[in-house]
Amino acid sequence: MLTVAHISKNFGTLQALKDVTFDVHDGEIMGLIGQNGAGKSTTFHSILNFLKFDGQITWNGQSLTADDYNQIGYLPEERSLMPKLTITQQIVYLARLKNQPAKVIKPKVSDWMQRFAVKGQPNDKISKLSKGNQQKVQLICTLIHDPQLIILDEPFSGLDPVNSDLLKQAIIAAKKRGAAIIFSSHDMSNVEEVCDSLVMLRNGEVVLKGKINDVRNQFGRTRLFLTTDWTAEQLAALPNVGAVKSLGDQRCRLQLTDANAGEAIFDAVTAGHYIQEFSQQPPTLDEIFRTEAGGVDHE
Amino acid sequence: MNKTWIVTSETYLRQTKSWSFLLLVLMPFLFIGMTFGISYVATPNKDKSDIAVVSTNSALRTSFIKQSGVATTKKYATAAAAQKATNRSDINGYVVLRATGKQVSATFNGPNEINSGDQAKIQRFLATLQTQLNVQQAKLSPTQQQTLAIQPKFKQQLQKKTASDKAAKTISFYVLVFFVYLILTTYSSITAQEIAAEKGTKIMEVIFSSTTPRKYFNGKVYGVLLMIVTQLFVYLLGGALVVQFAQHSRITADLWQQYSSVIGKVLSNLLSINLLFALAAVLLYTVVSAFCGALVTRVEDAGKASQPVIYLNLLTFVMAMAFQGSPSSGVVTIFSYIPFFSSYLMPLRLINATATMTEAVISMIILLVTVVGSMWYIGKIYGGLMLQTDELGFWGNLKRGLSLK
Repeated sequence: MLTVAHISKNFGTLQALKDVTFDVHDGEIMGLIGQNGAGKSTTFHSILNFLKFDGQITWNGQSLTADDYNQIGYLPEERSLMPKLTITQQIVYLARLKNQPAKVIKPKVSDWMQRFAVKGQPNDKISKLSKGNQQKVQLICTLIHDPQLIILDEPFSGLDPVNSDLLKQAIIAAKKRGAAIIFSSHDMSNVEEVCDSLVMLRNGEVVLKGKINDVRNQFGRTRLFLTTDWTAEQLAALPNVGAVKSLGDQRCRLQLTDANAGEAIFDAVTAGHYIQEFSQQPPTLDEIFRTEAGGVDHE
Repeated sequence: MNKTWIVTSETYLRQTKSWSFLLLVLMPFLFIGMTFGISYVATPNKDKSDIAVVSTNSALRTSFIKQSGVATTKKYATAAAAQKATNRSDINGYVVLRATGKQVSATFNGPNEINSGDQAKIQRFLATLQTQLNVQQAKLSPTQQQTLAIQPKFKQQLQKKTASDKAAKTISFYVLVFFVYLILTTYSSITAQEIAAEKGTKIMEVIFSSTTPRKYFNGKVYGVLLMIVTQLFVYLLGGALVVQFAQHSRITADLWQQYSSVIGKVLSNLLSINLLFALAAVLLYTVVSAFCGALVTRVEDAGKASQPVIYLNLLTFVMAMAFQGSPSSGVVTIFSYIPFFSSYLMPLRLINATATMTEAVISMIILLVTVVGSMWYIGKIYGGLMLQTDELGFWGNLKRGLSLK
């Protein structure tokens, strides 16, 4: 288990991290979300000991040692490989730096290239690969040594939906074998789909954290989707309805000022009759992100 | 396996497998080979320089061919055949030998004058033969023969070879200074550009998530050091082969014989503690070049990264050249202890015998302590410098880099 406890970091007068605390358990995927400059990469850099920081970061209850870094797989935000090396040379070199013998890694290269559908041969130079394929090779470098702690900084950035799915499968496979995974993303649908928990940073501070559903539910079930022949004006006149948005085909989304008003609205709209849709939900992660990450209410 | 060694071997193998390194190492040999090749083509062919020997006395002919030391050919035994070969320019000409009872004689026939060396050899052969004939004709007693056989004595009482010493010192200085300058410039550029390019590609975050910046930095420096050792080894091996060849080649053998004393002194000046000064200098410049490379933030600026070190090397080179004529000056003495300068100036003093071995060892210790100290300090701040990728200018990059770790 990775434990980040009360870490703070200043760059001159800029406070990049303020008392950030969270855990990532074995077999758990945690999403670290926040706007650009919120402190996500600084958090990763602190875990990787790239920076001096205040606070404590432990792995299985102990400060991280040189051996622990062999169990880490890290994908940085800015993709990069060594263009003069071949795919095999690159993967083997980085794996050797993780204390993996070349003879163990070399036979795995082709298999991992197939898993990520890398177009090219193991002996092709990195410089000859397309940007997308280079990105996939870097993912292989991050995962091939079966790390116990996986840190992925914007892993879906630049990937098409097909390759995003391949990455999601790899992340889920790593989770199943017990790895603790932490990744940052701007795409809340990926976080919602893959993560068990999330931490949201704003200006270096944790503003939200917990299981995905718990986080959503703490905002209350204030989103109401219904399909009815009522007009938007009629719906807006109901008590505790803050805003109504027509979604077409008699479908509307209501923003409630009180989540407990749902039952009264149901009674009023149905009047004992069947309606096609009545769904009261908490805000989506995307909505929460827009509201919380920047500190601005977009509704 | 030790991670420093993994970085060392990767750096070493990647660089030494490159065409640029092969060219760098082989260029002097290609140059020497081309020089020899051109000289070989330009020097007349051995067969063509031969002289045919014609005589009605076959014993005399055989004796001349075996003993005279003149480059001869046995191909043409008659005057007619030898004349035809001379006309075709297959040979330089032919000597007709005659022994008429009391006198031996030789006549050279050819389009040009015989060279003075061959003429002297022919005359020496004829003189020996004539003496033998004279002794036989005179019918001398053994005592008289012994008396006649007494030769004059010639002894050489050699003074200190000041002229050749001076030449050896000058040649040693220039060879050493240019060698060190070229090696330092080359390896400073390679190191600074490689580090800057790596930093520009942002691969360092991945690498530093696996090993410490210090181990990585040390591995890089050791890799470059192995490269220079390889280059020196190839030079020493190739140099030994060139010496062997030069000693025995007809193009250079005479030259080698003539200047063997100077060449010996130059070689002993080069293969000494001066070589260690060159090696230590490469280490120091490599460390400082890595530091300069780490301050650059973009791949496109990799070329600029090596400039400070190259200018520093140029400054020390110019200073060594300026003080070449005054190795005992106070400035040279002081700067021969200062790292960066000592790699040029202490060898200058050693070559000119204005420094003792103790002074050289002290200077070497200062240089090595500086190398180790620089490696320790730059290894410490290396991680911060390499991870600092914002474009803040030289001082800004340095300040930000130092604040990271």
